[in-house]
Amino acid sequence: MRPPPGRQRLSREFIARHQRARIVAALAEETMDKGYRAVTVADIVRRAGIARNTFYDNFSSKEDCFLATQEFAVEESLRRVVDAAAEEEGWEARLASGLGAFLKYVASEPALARTCIVEALSAGEAAQERYEQSLEAFIPLLKLGREDSPFGDDLPDTLEETIVGGIFWVIYQRIVKGQTEEIEALLPDLVDFALTPYIGAESAQRATARL
Amino acid sequence: MASDQAEYPPELSRLPPGRHGLPRDFVVHNQRERLIAGLAEAVAEKGYGGTTIADITRHAAVSRRTFYEHFDGKDECFVAAFDTVSEQLRERVDEAFKAEDDWAHAARAGIAAMLTFLAAEPNLARLAMVEALVAGPVVVERYDAAVQTFIPYLEAGREGRPKKVLKRLSDSTEEALVGGMVSLISRRIVAGQAEELESLLPDLTEFVLAPYVGNDEAAKIARED
Repeated sequence: MRPPPGRQRLSREFIARHQRARIVAALAEETMDKGYRAVTVADIVRRAGIARNTFYDNFSSKEDCFLATQEFAVEESLRRVVDAAAEEEGWEARLASGLGAFLKYVASEPALARTCIVEALSAGEAAQERYEQSLEAFIPLLKLGREDSPFGDDLPDTLEETIVGGIFWVIYQRIVKGQTEEIEALLPDLVDFALTPYIGAESAQRATARL
Repeated sequence: MASDQAEYPPELSRLPPGRHGLPRDFVVHNQRERLIAGLAEAVAEKGYGGTTIADITRHAAVSRRTFYEHFDGKDECFVAAFDTVSEQLRERVDEAFKAEDDWAHAARAGIAAMLTFLAAEPNLARLAMVEALVAGPVVVERYDAAVQTFIPYLEAGREGRPKKVLKRLSDSTEEALVGGMVSLISRRIVAGQAEELESLLPDLTEFVLAPYVGNDEAAKIARED
């Protein structure tokens, strides 16, 4: 298809990026509707409004497309978390702001959230592995809290993994129960949960009260 | 049918030879347990997706027909296996928890019992905590429900706490604690470190106790012998 006359031609790269984003969004929507297992490439193609060939130009299979969807969501959420955190001063405020941005993103993208936080766990080994890696991406951001912590070196090595796991579990539960709209309201509780091991319950409560 | 012959002798292969005179109920029960154990072994070897009925019956040393007398198919067998493992795990935790007087030590004992059970049974650990999630929506639902059964043990930690502590705890505190614990354990199992799970006891104890008893006290109890 040719672009309308008189308009500047879109760059090939732009079209390619846009196509991939559309396919990824279509996979997420189909997954939300019928569960990942039941989704076919034909469903994705129809939802994205593209040719089957275009799908295969971008992805080798449904599984490949799923992994790309996860990658997209992880990159996008990390970007939002880091941007939001950078606007604040001090680790506690940064954590709260970053987590807030994450919850907001999850709540605003129910299909993508369901795909990457719930369906990813049952979408096969590669997807499960990618899911585990995505949790790890948040660990360094939390680890910064050790520098300000009076408990510093005494904190368990596994602490960040456990906190991230706990946060994802709570979000997972809300999505499974169809309570996506409640996710943003979890912010004070989850900030408190994440801060307590580093600065103690009382200081965490003071920090959370400002939210 | 060469494959059927290879599976012979069926049903009773691991029972005493000759006329064992065992009641039929016992044999049937035993077959079921063997099939469940067979499934766990097969899944540990090939993953849930790669496991076939033939794999299960081979590991269990029973015939295909016997399999179908007990289960409609692989999924149903997996559900039975999952229920068996999660029930056993909960029983162990419950016993250990109830054997202690104060809540903090009871929680620690419960975590220890969980880690000990999973470390001793790496195949079952993998089945219940990793493969369960890939085995379809029915099992995922049971998995979620099984995780939730541990919440009351933590909620018991609220009893008798000062008001200012209770005010701090949120509705989702226990959910996040259990979720964090389960997530860490699953990650270790995925990494092939199921047998080293017991080394997580101090970390998990500290993590779980801290919101209730404070960081210092939690660290102290976590490091007790």
